Amino acid sequence: MIQPTASCPSRAPLTVRTADIARLEPRSDDVIAFPDGLPGFEECRRFVMSSDGDHPFQCLEGLEASSPAFVTIDPARVLPGYRLILSPVDRRHLDAREEDPLLWLAIVTVNPDETATVNLRAPIVINPRLMIGFQVMPHDCLYPLRHPLSI
Amino acid sequence: MLVFTRKRDEAIMIGDGIEIRVLRTGRDGVKIGVTAPAAVAVHRREIYDLIRAENEVAARRPHDLQQLLARLCGQSKSSDEQ
Repeated sequence: MIQPTASCPSRAPLTVRTADIARLEPRSDDVIAFPDGLPGFEECRRFVMSSDGDHPFQCLEGLEASSPAFVTIDPARVLPGYRLILSPVDRRHLDAREEDPLLWLAIVTVNPDETATVNLRAPIVINPRLMIGFQVMPHDCLYPLRHPLSI
Repeated sequence: MLVFTRKRDEAIMIGDGIEIRVLRTGRDGVKIGVTAPAAVAVHRREIYDLIRAENEVAARRPHDLQQLLARLCGQSKSSDEQ
Protein backbone atom coordinates (compact mmCIF):
# COMPACT_ATOMS: atom_id res chain seq x y z
CA MET A 1 0.00 0.00 0.00
CA ILE A 2 1.22 3.46 -0.77
CA GLN A 3 1.72 5.48 2.37
CA PRO A 4 0.21 8.91 2.09
CA THR A 5 2.67 11.55 3.00
CA ALA A 6 2.61 15.20 3.65
CA SER A 7 4.77 17.57 1.68
CA CYS A 8 8.50 17.22 1.14
CA PRO A 9 8.62 13.45 0.76
CA SER A 10 12.15 13.69 -0.55
CA ARG A 11 13.44 15.01 2.75
CA ALA A 12 13.81 12.68 5.68
CA PRO A 13 10.31 12.86 7.07
CA LEU A 14 9.91 13.17 10.78
CA THR A 15 7.63 11.13 12.73
CA VAL A 16 4.22 10.92 13.71
CA ARG A 17 1.71 8.69 15.34
CA THR A 18 0.72 7.91 18.77
CA ALA A 19 -1.49 5.16 20.01
CA ASP A 20 -2.15 6.26 23.54
CA ILE A 21 -4.62 9.02 22.92
CA ALA A 22 -6.04 8.98 26.44
CA ARG A 23 -2.68 9.77 27.96
CA LEU A 24 -2.23 12.78 25.69
CA GLU A 25 -5.64 14.30 26.01
CA PRO A 26 -5.53 17.71 27.61
CA ARG A 27 -7.75 18.50 30.54
CA SER A 28 -10.89 20.36 29.62
CA ASP A 29 -9.67 23.53 31.32
CA ASP A 30 -6.48 23.60 29.29
CA VAL A 31 -6.54 26.02 26.41
CA ILE A 32 -5.08 24.82 23.13
CA ALA A 33 -3.70 27.57 20.92
CA PHE A 34 -4.37 27.45 17.18
CA PRO A 35 -2.25 30.35 15.91
CA ASP A 36 -3.79 30.17 12.42
CA GLY A 37 -7.29 29.24 13.52
CA LEU A 38 -8.92 26.62 11.30
CA PRO A 39 -9.76 27.05 7.62
CA GLY A 40 -13.07 28.88 7.57
CA PHE A 41 -12.57 29.99 11.17
CA GLU A 42 -9.27 31.79 10.96
CA GLU A 43 -10.15 34.15 13.82
CA CYS A 44 -10.75 31.31 16.31
CA ARG A 45 -7.41 30.88 17.95
CA ARG A 46 -8.22 29.24 21.29
CA PHE A 47 -9.98 25.93 21.84
CA VAL A 48 -10.66 23.58 24.73
CA MET A 49 -11.07 19.86 24.39
CA SER A 50 -13.23 17.54 26.43
CA SER A 51 -14.22 13.91 26.35
CA ASP A 52 -15.63 11.22 28.56
CA GLY A 53 -14.88 7.54 28.64
CA ASP A 54 -18.23 6.38 27.34
CA HIS A 55 -17.59 7.02 23.67
CA PRO A 56 -14.62 7.53 21.36
CA PHE A 57 -15.36 11.16 20.53
CA GLN A 58 -13.91 14.42 21.78
CA CYS A 59 -15.47 17.88 21.76
CA LEU A 60 -13.29 20.72 20.53
CA GLU A 61 -14.86 24.05 21.40
CA GLY A 62 -13.70 27.50 20.42
CA LEU A 63 -13.48 29.97 23.30
CA GLU A 64 -14.28 33.24 21.57
CA ALA A 65 -17.86 34.37 21.20
CA SER A 66 -19.48 32.84 18.11
CA SER A 67 -16.66 30.33 17.86
CA PRO A 68 -17.54 26.93 16.43
CA ALA A 69 -17.47 23.59 18.17
CA PHE A 70 -16.50 20.30 16.58
CA VAL A 71 -16.78 16.64 17.34
CA THR A 72 -13.52 14.82 16.71
CA ILE A 73 -12.21 11.27 16.84
CA ASP A 74 -8.80 9.59 16.75
CA PRO A 75 -8.35 8.89 13.01
CA ALA A 76 -6.62 5.58 13.77
CA ARG A 77 -9.81 4.47 15.48
CA VAL A 78 -11.73 5.09 12.28
CA LEU A 79 -9.11 3.62 9.96
CA PRO A 80 -6.61 1.28 11.63
CA GLY A 81 -3.13 1.95 10.35
CA TYR A 82 -3.92 5.59 9.60
CA ARG A 83 -0.67 7.45 9.33
CA LEU A 84 0.37 10.86 8.10
CA ILE A 85 3.89 12.15 8.02
CA LEU A 86 4.39 15.73 9.05
CA SER A 87 6.76 17.71 6.91
CA PRO A 88 9.61 19.46 8.71
CA VAL A 89 7.81 22.76 8.06
CA ASP A 90 4.59 21.49 9.64
CA ARG A 91 6.55 20.11 12.55
CA ARG A 92 8.08 23.51 13.09
CA HIS A 93 4.56 24.97 13.32
CA LEU A 94 4.11 22.85 16.42
CA ASP A 95 7.62 23.51 17.69
CA ALA A 96 7.73 19.74 18.08
CA ARG A 97 10.83 18.00 19.29
CA GLU A 98 11.71 14.63 17.87
CA GLU A 99 10.48 12.89 21.01
CA ASP A 100 7.24 14.83 21.41
CA PRO A 101 4.22 12.58 21.05
CA LEU A 102 1.54 14.30 19.01
CA LEU A 103 -2.22 14.09 19.33
CA TRP A 104 -4.19 13.57 16.12
CA LEU A 105 -7.87 14.37 15.78
CA ALA A 106 -10.12 13.99 12.78
CA ILE A 107 -13.16 16.23 12.52
CA VAL A 108 -16.51 14.44 12.34
CA THR A 109 -19.16 15.89 10.03
CA VAL A 110 -22.82 15.07 10.48
CA ASN A 111 -24.24 15.88 7.07
CA PRO A 112 -27.67 17.32 6.39
CA ASP A 113 -28.86 13.83 5.38
CA GLU A 114 -27.78 12.58 8.84
CA THR A 115 -24.90 10.48 7.56
CA ALA A 116 -21.67 10.97 9.46
CA THR A 117 -18.27 11.23 7.84
CA VAL A 118 -14.77 11.82 9.11
CA ASN A 119 -12.23 14.16 7.58
CA LEU A 120 -9.12 12.02 7.23
CA ARG A 121 -7.72 14.31 4.53
CA ALA A 122 -6.93 17.21 6.85
CA PRO A 123 -6.62 16.15 10.49
CA ILE A 124 -5.92 18.39 13.43
CA VAL A 125 -2.59 17.80 15.10
CA ILE A 126 -1.73 19.04 18.59
CA ASN A 127 1.54 19.13 20.47
CA PRO A 128 0.35 18.46 24.04
CA ARG A 129 3.64 19.63 25.52
CA LEU A 130 3.06 23.17 24.25
CA MET A 131 -0.74 22.99 23.82
CA ILE A 132 -0.50 24.25 20.28
CA GLY A 133 -2.24 22.85 17.24
CA PHE A 134 -3.24 23.36 13.63
CA GLN A 135 -5.11 21.61 10.85
CA VAL A 136 -2.72 19.77 8.58
CA MET A 137 -3.36 20.10 4.87
CA PRO A 138 -0.85 17.81 3.21
CA HIS A 139 -0.15 18.58 -0.42
CA ASP A 140 -0.46 14.95 -1.39
CA CYS A 141 -2.75 12.82 0.66
CA LEU A 142 -4.65 9.69 -0.29
CA TYR A 143 -7.01 9.76 2.66
CA PRO A 144 -10.54 10.98 1.95
CA LEU A 145 -12.16 14.20 3.05
CA ARG A 146 -15.35 12.28 3.81
CA HIS A 147 -14.67 8.84 5.14
CA PRO A 148 -17.89 7.14 6.26
CA LEU A 149 -18.01 6.88 10.05
CA SER A 150 -18.16 3.28 11.12
CA ILE A 151 -16.59 2.45 14.44
CA MET B 1 -5.40 42.26 -9.01
CA LEU B 2 -1.87 42.83 -10.20
CA VAL B 3 -1.15 41.10 -13.47
CA PHE B 4 2.36 40.26 -14.66
CA THR B 5 3.71 38.67 -17.78
CA ARG B 6 6.47 36.23 -16.85
CA LYS B 7 8.61 33.91 -18.93
CA ARG B 8 10.17 30.66 -17.82
CA ASP B 9 12.64 31.11 -14.92
CA GLU B 10 11.33 34.58 -14.18
CA ALA B 11 9.90 35.31 -10.75
CA ILE B 12 7.78 37.63 -8.67
CA MET B 13 8.66 38.74 -5.15
CA ILE B 14 6.00 39.31 -2.52
CA GLY B 15 7.50 41.29 0.31
CA ASP B 16 11.11 40.28 0.83
CA GLY B 17 10.47 36.66 1.77
CA ILE B 18 8.16 35.11 -0.78
CA GLU B 19 9.19 34.25 -4.30
CA ILE B 20 6.95 32.79 -6.97
CA ARG B 21 8.87 31.46 -9.94
CA VAL B 22 7.66 30.10 -13.27
CA LEU B 23 9.52 26.80 -13.74
CA ARG B 24 7.87 25.47 -16.85
CA THR B 25 5.02 26.34 -19.14
CA GLY B 26 3.07 23.97 -21.30
CA ARG B 27 -0.27 23.38 -22.91
CA ASP B 28 -1.64 21.56 -19.85
CA GLY B 29 -0.51 24.01 -17.19
CA VAL B 30 2.18 26.11 -15.67
CA LYS B 31 4.64 24.70 -13.16
CA ILE B 32 5.26 27.19 -10.39
CA GLY B 33 7.80 27.15 -7.57
CA VAL B 34 6.99 28.96 -4.34
CA THR B 35 9.67 29.88 -1.83
CA ALA B 36 8.28 31.20 1.43
CA PRO B 37 9.22 31.41 5.11
CA ALA B 38 8.22 28.38 7.19
CA ALA B 39 5.57 30.42 8.98
CA VAL B 40 3.72 31.10 5.72
CA ALA B 41 1.32 28.34 4.73
CA VAL B 42 1.20 27.57 1.02
CA HIS B 43 -1.68 25.52 -0.35
CA ARG B 44 -3.41 24.76 -3.60
CA ARG B 45 -6.43 27.01 -3.55
CA GLU B 46 -8.97 24.31 -4.44
CA ILE B 47 -7.75 22.00 -1.65
CA TYR B 48 -7.94 24.80 0.89
CA ASP B 49 -11.47 25.65 -0.26
CA LEU B 50 -12.61 22.02 0.05
CA ILE B 51 -11.27 21.73 3.59
CA ARG B 52 -12.75 25.07 4.60
CA ALA B 53 -16.15 24.05 3.24
CA GLU B 54 -15.99 20.75 5.11
CA ASN B 55 -15.11 22.56 8.36
CA GLU B 56 -18.08 24.86 7.87
CA VAL B 57 -20.46 21.91 7.49
CA ALA B 58 -18.92 20.15 10.51
CA ALA B 59 -19.03 23.22 12.80
CA ARG B 60 -21.75 23.42 15.42
CA ARG B 61 -22.72 25.88 18.09
CA PRO B 62 -21.20 24.65 21.37
CA HIS B 63 -24.57 24.00 23.00
CA ASP B 64 -25.63 21.75 20.10
CA LEU B 65 -22.70 19.46 20.60
CA GLN B 66 -24.18 17.15 23.23
CA GLN B 67 -27.18 16.44 21.04
CA LEU B 68 -24.87 15.68 18.12
CA LEU B 69 -22.78 13.35 20.28
CA ALA B 70 -25.89 11.50 21.41
CA ARG B 71 -26.82 10.89 17.79
CA LEU B 72 -23.31 9.75 16.90
CA CYS B 73 -23.15 7.42 19.88
CA GLY B 74 -26.49 5.94 18.84
CA GLN B 75 -25.00 5.28 15.40
CA SER B 76 -21.84 3.72 16.77
CA LYS B 77 -23.84 1.45 19.09
CA SER B 78 -26.01 0.20 16.28
CA SER B 79 -22.91 -0.49 14.16
CA ASP B 80 -21.42 -2.42 17.12
CA GLU B 81 -24.47 -4.61 17.20
CA GLN B 82 -24.28 -5.51 13.55
